[in-house]
Amino acid sequence: MQQLKKLYKQILSDYICNQNESDLYIGQNLIKQMIQKNVSPEDVISIHKQALEEFYGELPETVIHAYDFLIEVMVHYGLKVKEHQSLLVKQEEMRIEMDIAAQIQNQLLENEVPKTKCTDIGMISVPLRKMNGDYVHFKYDSANYLGVAVTDVVGKGVPAALCMSMVKYGLDTLEYANSNPSYVLEVLNQLIEKSVDDSMFVSLFYARYNLHSNIFTWSSAGHEPSLYYNAAEHTFYDLEAKGLLLGILPEVKYSQQELELKENDFIIIMTDGVTDFRKNEGFDAREKIKELALSFQHLNAQEMCNTIYQELLKLQDFKLYDDFTVVIIKKNKLF
Amino acid sequence: MNKKTIEIITELDIITARKLGRNEAKRIGFDKVDQARITTAIGELAKNIFFYAQTGKIVIEETIREGIKGIAITSIDKGQGIGDVQKVLEGEHSPTSTGAGLPAVKRLVDSINIESEIGKGTIVKIVKWLS
Amino acid sequence: MNVNIQFREDGDLLVGFIEGEIDTYTAPVLREELEVINLSEGLTIELDLSNVNYMDSTGLGVFVAFYKKVVKENAALKLVNLSGRLTRLFEITGLSELMEIEKGGATNASI
Repeated sequence: MQQLKKLYKQILSDYICNQNESDLYIGQNLIKQMIQKNVSPEDVISIHKQALEEFYGELPETVIHAYDFLIEVMVHYGLKVKEHQSLLVKQEEMRIEMDIAAQIQNQLLENEVPKTKCTDIGMISVPLRKMNGDYVHFKYDSANYLGVAVTDVVGKGVPAALCMSMVKYGLDTLEYANSNPSYVLEVLNQLIEKSVDDSMFVSLFYARYNLHSNIFTWSSAGHEPSLYYNAAEHTFYDLEAKGLLLGILPEVKYSQQELELKENDFIIIMTDGVTDFRKNEGFDAREKIKELALSFQHLNAQEMCNTIYQELLKLQDFKLYDDFTVVIIKKNKLF
Repeated sequence: MNKKTIEIITELDIITARKLGRNEAKRIGFDKVDQARITTAIGELAKNIFFYAQTGKIVIEETIREGIKGIAITSIDKGQGIGDVQKVLEGEHSPTSTGAGLPAVKRLVDSINIESEIGKGTIVKIVKWLS
Repeated sequence: MNVNIQFREDGDLLVGFIEGEIDTYTAPVLREELEVINLSEGLTIELDLSNVNYMDSTGLGVFVAFYKKVVKENAALKLVNLSGRLTRLFEITGLSELMEIEKGGATNASI
């Protein structure tokens, strides 16, 4: 400290004599050293004031008062700056923890798109923030049944992600791919209703596909209706199913419906992030998706998903407003 | 030794506490910068009382240890108390409750000691020695 | 983006006019406003959504939580003057089966 004080006085007196740029530069470097030695702003001012007193003898009283005032406010200023810095450090710590949590979530929720003989499956799921509130779960027993769940937790970020882990484990405990969709929803509903607070809920579309009979059975809990394209009729149908969101009432019964997938038919399952066009009042997103799907139906399911995502993103000026998930199941040509 | 007690009831009492503290610091022999630090610390303690505990008091006194003089300031309130003192000092406490300014106070003085009981109140004692 | 709510009391009927956008950012504001309502048995709360021009699922969460609270207190909740878009949202989610919902009249057809 004494050393630094001496240096400061020296540099200051040099500058007062010559006003050299180099003295200013040296002065700035000295401040760096002072910060390392934990010299506070008010100390620097005090040193400055003492230096002036040494150079010029007694300073005018008004100037002394002015310095005292400066010292006083700088004590507070220094404190607030330190508080601010510690906030930044904490924020950084939280950011790192969030990154780790997001990684863990990704690993937990990772689910490979199954490869089956007679269907072509594609999927895209893009989170708005670090953690995804959408989740796609596949069950495939490699012989008879394919199960697919597309879910959206209300809310975003960490709370949604925590709730999502629960949904995943709920789905994991339902071991078999041949479970009835309505049964799956009833079980999950009880699990979620018991575990989360009143403003938290989950929408979920569950479908089971019989790989032998090509019967597609679905049930929905408050989820955005999926689209079914009937290739023979060149027509889209909404897979309407009025089921209550999961987690609202304890005992809810769900209904299920079925259809037979034929050659070149396809199903588009999505979350509301896909159809929720905030900035385009009156714009019918579902029509747009149908249009896109039709013009890209020659692509494989994964390419269709990617293209639909890109095109919709373009329409929203490349800005997502919600987690975005699309799953496409195409019935392949018969062998 | 003379001991000064200031009841903190209105915002003006914060100023009074600061003024008494500065005079005392000056009398003990602290330089201008340390006077400013001690006064700021008293101000933070008094603000804590005023904003979060409504009423309480600040006690300012001279202290001595192994021949070295110092100033001791104690703030006593009957507010809601602080749950986790350690967390408060690390600044991991809500900035809108008792204890908000305590990490700052800690940086200004040589020692800080907090005794607190939820629902009963908080006693904070800080000491700064003449170096 | 903002949301605000104005209340008008009329005996056992409390009408709240909600205006603005209900999303992740504004939903907590609305939740707080609804939380302070003094619920009593026999009270009917009618929330007018004709001036809600956007709502996402977080907004639904606010209404669901409020609905549950209302039911617990033996009061009643009614959502009125919903735009086509909002009506669809309540239908898709199955909430229209649960809660009393009234679509907007002709004056609100454009919203």
